[in-house]
Amino acid sequence: MIMSKSALPDLLDKLIGEYEVYAPVKEGYYSLFKKITAGGEACFDYANSKIPPKGVLFPQSEKLFCYSLTGEGAKIEDCIDSGKKVVFGLRPCDARSLLLLDNVFKNDQYTDPYYMTRRENTLLVGMACINPAGTCFCTSMDSGPFDKTGLDVLLTDIGDAYLVEALSDAGKALVEKFGLGDSGDEQNEAAAKAREAAELTCRVNTGELKAKLDINFYHAIWERFHEKCLGCAACTYSCPTCHCFDIVDEAVDCNGCRVRNWDSCMFPLFTMHGSGHNPRPGGKERMRQRIMHKFKYFVDNFNAMACVGCGRCIKNCPVNLDIREILADIQEEGRSDK
Amino acid sequence: MQRNPYLPLPVKLVKNFTETEDRLIHTFTFQFLSEDDEKSFPYMPGQFAEVCVFGKGEAPFGIASSPTEPGFLKFSVAKVGVVSTALHLMEEGTTAGVRGPLGNHYPVEQMKGKNIVIIGGGFAFTTLRSLITYILEPEHRGDYGKLTVIYGARNPGLLLYKDELEDWDSRSDIDLVCTIDRPVEGWTRRVGFVPAVTKEVAPNSENSVAIICGPPVMIKFTMPELEACGFMPEQVIMSLENRMKCGIGMCGRCNVGNKYVCKDGPVFTKAELNQLPGEY
Amino acid sequence: MQKLDSAIQDLAKKLLEEKKVDLVVGFAGGSLPLRSTPCFIRRPEDASELIWNYSCENNLANYLRRREGRVAVVAKGCDVRSIVALINENQINRENVYIIGVPCSGMVDRAKADEAVDGRDILEVEDKGDTLVIRGKGFAREMKLEDLFHDTCKVCRHGNPVLCDVLVGEAVPAKPGEDFDDVTAFEALSPAERRATLAAEFFKCIRCYACRNACPMCYCAECFVDCSTPAWIKKTPDVDDNIMFQAGRVFHSAGRCADCGACDRACPMGINLRGMTRKMVKEVKELFGCEAGVSLEEKPALNTFKADDPQPFLVKE
Repeated sequence: MIMSKSALPDLLDKLIGEYEVYAPVKEGYYSLFKKITAGGEACFDYANSKIPPKGVLFPQSEKLFCYSLTGEGAKIEDCIDSGKKVVFGLRPCDARSLLLLDNVFKNDQYTDPYYMTRRENTLLVGMACINPAGTCFCTSMDSGPFDKTGLDVLLTDIGDAYLVEALSDAGKALVEKFGLGDSGDEQNEAAAKAREAAELTCRVNTGELKAKLDINFYHAIWERFHEKCLGCAACTYSCPTCHCFDIVDEAVDCNGCRVRNWDSCMFPLFTMHGSGHNPRPGGKERMRQRIMHKFKYFVDNFNAMACVGCGRCIKNCPVNLDIREILADIQEEGRSDK
Repeated sequence: MQRNPYLPLPVKLVKNFTETEDRLIHTFTFQFLSEDDEKSFPYMPGQFAEVCVFGKGEAPFGIASSPTEPGFLKFSVAKVGVVSTALHLMEEGTTAGVRGPLGNHYPVEQMKGKNIVIIGGGFAFTTLRSLITYILEPEHRGDYGKLTVIYGARNPGLLLYKDELEDWDSRSDIDLVCTIDRPVEGWTRRVGFVPAVTKEVAPNSENSVAIICGPPVMIKFTMPELEACGFMPEQVIMSLENRMKCGIGMCGRCNVGNKYVCKDGPVFTKAELNQLPGEY
Repeated sequence: MQKLDSAIQDLAKKLLEEKKVDLVVGFAGGSLPLRSTPCFIRRPEDASELIWNYSCENNLANYLRRREGRVAVVAKGCDVRSIVALINENQINRENVYIIGVPCSGMVDRAKADEAVDGRDILEVEDKGDTLVIRGKGFAREMKLEDLFHDTCKVCRHGNPVLCDVLVGEAVPAKPGEDFDDVTAFEALSPAERRATLAAEFFKCIRCYACRNACPMCYCAECFVDCSTPAWIKKTPDVDDNIMFQAGRVFHSAGRCADCGACDRACPMGINLRGMTRKMVKEVKELFGCEAGVSLEEKPALNTFKADDPQPFLVKE
């Protein structure tokens, strides 16, 4: 099917009545996924958003439930958000990250009702990357600029229009609402050309990565990766697969809310025991945890790397600590234990 | 969809008991407000729960009561953080919350037919109390062989569950060895650190399981003694503590290697832990 | 900008060979255009990794606190001010630090470059001396280097290190006396307008604490935002608490902040943090006549009392 670019704002307006629509919005020199109130607010001329759209499903801060104490006990009301949502224009890498997060929020024993309810009620309309950024390495992470995995609809920019492919039943139902015409040969060809032209300049060799990490927990290589790291959360908060969180109460007396907020394995407090003992006391241990979690533990548990190659951690790091270099170094040197 | 695992069940604090002479450990007895809630909380020795103080937050504590004691839940809690301090100050009759039961439990099925050696130190004795009470229950006692318990504290005032210790001491179906670090006037029982006492007691490793909980330093020095007695890593069971929040394997902080202490533990055999990095 | 790579490399190599230091902290080439990255050189043969250019924006004083052994550091003007401030706070032992001072006329603000190309992906930068040519897929833009400098650099009066063991290269020309024109616009606003201005900035904050961690002077063992008893501010990133966090940080660094702009540079969300820090620098200068990190003799403004402090807030006889 084909959708002209000029018609897109109106089509988005149609959706806004029925869904909460999240789309990339320009914020100065970068883009962020935001809930839009008019189709015209969205801007699809972007490499990728500063912060991933995972926050639509797993917000940086969300109320789990509110409570108040009564004479007879406690009144507890949970805050599950079952609103219908569309994430419009997300990149294939970010869609893939949600498939990875599904493993976390529905594990062998428990289901997180907050994430999963949103997930079930959210449609993902992807925007193929015809212009991957210099920091993109999705093709090294089992994905690619035209990867359809996890998407309901994929749009491909062919100049003045988008080629529209409905990929799931829900996607088909959504696209039907638009009443789009079929694409012609010329347009299909243009999309195929865009696909061919979308080349990634950067690759990360992951061949022996897991095998190396299996044996190099105590390797001296971990002594130096963290040395320049400031220990902030710019990398983890901008990572589409990072999912660590904290749970806190915000209350006056006995009435209030339990809230969960993003947290980061890079913070010392993250693992600090009440006694003051810390199993990951230094930057070395915390950096190792971040890498191990993504490229070993997640693979052990879910048979996939917890990285989609979006490159945000590289761009956002205040000291230019580049995960691609860490992975390369591990491949290069992490040959033996100790 | 299953029950929302984040929601606490309301309970009433029926007893706030000062357990130790230094007043830093209290034992809290809670009752469920609804019978249905109690039924939805079937637990086993070794499991833990998130105890919630409304207005302050929640924190994970091992369950000290045993499933053989219906009608209440017990937790013995040291005063260290925001939630535990609020608990210590909580008046009896106040509504609190519990969320769980969480984590795995001591492998009471696999332990059947075996001699049981329980070694505890300090206030890490809580889930061990649950296990001992469970084993001593007449309907279970016959499932297990000899039951030896070695329990040490710095001084007599810091021993938990003093009344029960006396009771156990007077029974023939449990061999209780209590010890304190240094001699104190009036203390007629054993004196010495847990590792040394373990060496003296020299539990037989044949057809036995050892369960050990205590401060890291106690565990570090007791392990060689158990090895000397012939205990293999598969025969030694430990319970880990790491900082936790969600308790259901999602928030990401309590992992040791690829295992989450909250969901895949807290109970591990020494053999399992030998496969994991020492981040606990 | 002066070409100083080889001078720095030679010096570092010599210091390591002669075992005058165990470590040289400097900059290596970055993995992205317009970027360099802090590096730690321990072997003389690795000294060739060291570079110097317009992208050496990080404040390396951050890596010097409470370090064992003798360390040499490649330090531009603002790094040196932070080092001096940290020496004055006993966080750095002067004896153990060898300062390789580098005169600095300014560092490039990547956000300005991003803005100039409307957020498009920058793939390559050509250094033409006074200008940079910024290129990406389908665009090229030549910009004056000084137009790309951080705002901090534009008002900096200490590009030449105030303290060093050796100075590499030629001193940069001194700038005229300090003005605080950049603060006056904010000061002219009404309280409600100021609040709105701050809210518009701090709405973007994601509480990654890059600002705090990048700040050489933020070294509390437990930051007040992490404190649980009492919980001074909420962990939740809402605008009021975000402002409170930054205000707390700025107040705590009053008289200590060397105006290096490291916090501002570290912010991944491009929040204008200098709006607050610079205002505080001005306040301290006006109230106490002090500037942090310009002299080893001068104690931090709030750690000392001088009978001749201007302190207009006191009622005097």
